[in-house]
Amino acid sequence: MQGYLHKTGSAAPLAVFRILFGLLLLASIVRFWSYGWISELYIKPRYFFPFYGFEFVRPLGEYTYLLFAVCGLSALLVALGLFYRVATVTLFLSFTYIELIDKTTYLNHYYFISLMCFMLMFLPAHVYFSADAFRNPKLRADQVPAWCLDAVKLFVGFLYFFAGLAKVNSDWLLLAQPLRIWLPAHNDLPLVGYLLNYTWVAYLFSWFGCLYDLCIPFLLWNRSTRPWAFAAVVVFHGLTALLFPIGMFPYIMIMTALIFFSADFHQRIINSLGRMLRLRGDQLVPRRIYRMHPALNYGLVGMFLVFFAVQLVLPFRHLFYPGELFWTEQGYRFSWRVMLMEKAGHTEFTVRDRSGKKVIVNNSEFLTPLQEKMMATQPDMILQYAHILRDYYAQQGFDQPQVFADSYVSLNGRLGRPLIDPEVDLANEQETFSPKSWITPFDDEIKGF
Amino acid sequence: MLATVWSCGNGGGEPTPGTDTDNMDRKAMLTNLADNIIIPSYDNFKTRFDVMKAASEAFVATPNQTNLVAFRKAWEEAYIEWQKVELFDIGPGEVHTIRYYFNIYPADVQGIATNVANPASDLELPTSFARQGFPALDYLLHGVAATDAEVVAYYTTAPEAAARRAYIKRITDRMNSLLTMVINEWKGGYRDTFVSKTGLDISSSTSNLVNSYIMHYERYIRSGKFGIPSGAMMNGVVAPEKVEAYYRKDLSLILARTAHQAAADFFNGKNVKTGEAGPSFNTYLTALGAKDSSTGKTLAELINTQFATSKAKMEALQPNLYNEIRTNNQAVKDVYNEMQKAVRMLKVDMASAMSITITYVDNDGD
Repeated sequence: MQGYLHKTGSAAPLAVFRILFGLLLLASIVRFWSYGWISELYIKPRYFFPFYGFEFVRPLGEYTYLLFAVCGLSALLVALGLFYRVATVTLFLSFTYIELIDKTTYLNHYYFISLMCFMLMFLPAHVYFSADAFRNPKLRADQVPAWCLDAVKLFVGFLYFFAGLAKVNSDWLLLAQPLRIWLPAHNDLPLVGYLLNYTWVAYLFSWFGCLYDLCIPFLLWNRSTRPWAFAAVVVFHGLTALLFPIGMFPYIMIMTALIFFSADFHQRIINSLGRMLRLRGDQLVPRRIYRMHPALNYGLVGMFLVFFAVQLVLPFRHLFYPGELFWTEQGYRFSWRVMLMEKAGHTEFTVRDRSGKKVIVNNSEFLTPLQEKMMATQPDMILQYAHILRDYYAQQGFDQPQVFADSYVSLNGRLGRPLIDPEVDLANEQETFSPKSWITPFDDEIKGF
Repeated sequence: MLATVWSCGNGGGEPTPGTDTDNMDRKAMLTNLADNIIIPSYDNFKTRFDVMKAASEAFVATPNQTNLVAFRKAWEEAYIEWQKVELFDIGPGEVHTIRYYFNIYPADVQGIATNVANPASDLELPTSFARQGFPALDYLLHGVAATDAEVVAYYTTAPEAAARRAYIKRITDRMNSLLTMVINEWKGGYRDTFVSKTGLDISSSTSNLVNSYIMHYERYIRSGKFGIPSGAMMNGVVAPEKVEAYYRKDLSLILARTAHQAAADFFNGKNVKTGEAGPSFNTYLTALGAKDSSTGKTLAELINTQFATSKAKMEALQPNLYNEIRTNNQAVKDVYNEMQKAVRMLKVDMASAMSITITYVDNDGD
């Protein structure tokens, strides 16, 4: 262990990763902005769904554009390696803030980016081939502690492995759900589209997807299988890009997989970039090892150990909750459970008070269509919305309003059924980490992780 | 290869769930819906409409009792036929918002008087929706006076008689030009566009069709014809005066039943000319394998059962919905409740099984 902690390796992979990650993130921000999503998702809605414990994160109104500008600029600075330490901190904070505003827009790949930004704050990805290193010869180094690169690889490995483990469930493997629903939607693709009509294709995709996720970190790590594994990465994420509306995610994952390639591979990229930029020899070959103060080195390694320990436990926290995970979604987020459910619902609310006032709520007066759609299937959002309604109608003169949810939710091709006990007054229920007793039992079993 | 797979057709009969890839061909479904339902339904409606237009012209030229009776009869038949096309809120029908100009009720009586007095009034404004179309004609034919003789007098001897006759002509001409435009566009380029947009993204025909279909069922049949007048919605405020065909009250239920049947037939892809079922939401859903795994019943069967239950509840009502709401309202609310169950199956189970996002905003409360 001692030996490993002092082992060093090439700085080139981290430098290439830094550049590509920053540029892709910048592209994501530009794309998000140009689609008008900033206003659509963070300015126009009247109400928001903050995460439990992060209720202090409020939308910023028109300043949200500024927040995105800061985020985009930070991403660019990270790519350039200019003011790297400050830029990684502002990137992490601005990006995470955006993601915490409204859980309606929660996506695992945003969570991935947020955590990757967190890691970059502590990793010396700027000591080689960066503007900072260009300006400051003392910073310049072509060797960094080996654990720095391994931490990134390990994190990517976690993502894939847990995403694969989550697919080891009876819906995915035995029923080929939800791919069986999603694939025929693309049966009009040229040439291969008709194949997507066949159930066996859905099974093939399901099993291949599961095995892919479980194995790919190991196959990428192993030198001899790496080229094939990377080809699989490109094919797999290319297919998902074609079939599902998941934006930049496939490209980010293809780029991220490059981190597993050899130091030589990355060095060649940097050398050719360096030639284009007409960099001098010592700028490309500083022949120096980046060393942290031993205390800092141990401190950082300790912190990363805690980080990975938390990452190891979080996907299993659902074991503390009764009921079916896909149905209750207690412990569903932050666990790399990706594309596992076709869940749709319709939830209607009745607000009453003791004096006999009663109203059936028109959700569109409070929520955007996207918010309503996400709320309708997720119990914690239903509760948050019930409280929004309680507070609103209390202001409208209802005396201690009661809020009841009439829900109908379909999961992975099962017919719809109530998700929430319609007799429970949600105005009186509190959000906690304890199990939510007012979620109706699922009445079916999905075996697996 | 594509052609071979698609061409080995199923020669009729029940599709096998999950295996019949022919029925997963959205182009075949869109083609059947356009060629065998949408376009011929518009043609049928146009025929009835032209009869009504001729009758209206005869009445406007010679307002007497015979022509009044003939006009009323033609109006009734055209209004019933309209129920079979109102659901096509897609393509030209949607672009020209024909529904807003043909059937927004209750009629705005005050507004009609204003427009009669002002022949230059703008009929395209949202405020004028309820001053034209079938509901306005309903009022002008049945609501302006108690007896036939008085109605005739309203258009002959009253001081504003000429202006009133002119308004009838104005609004029927407007209906005619809108309808002609919609039909011409369907038969022009739109049919091919419709059939060719076979994807499932939000601009695709299937997605738009499913959305507009469910919205029609939810908002214009369930809410408009039953939910709002009965007070099952509107937070309990009973409003019998909001029934469709308020001035010909014994027609309300027939209109509702026709609309409901048209929606059910559309779901089943029933050819308007031959009555045979063809590629449709029903066959598509079944081919996708959508079913209740506990009973093995297909989702399409369950939806049809729910349609039948709603229909039975409707059939239990007297034709005069206005009276039913005042004296037997629970039975009207029962229709609403059964239709609500169908709405959920369409909106959640069907849309989810088809992997279609519901994009329309539900404005139930207002």
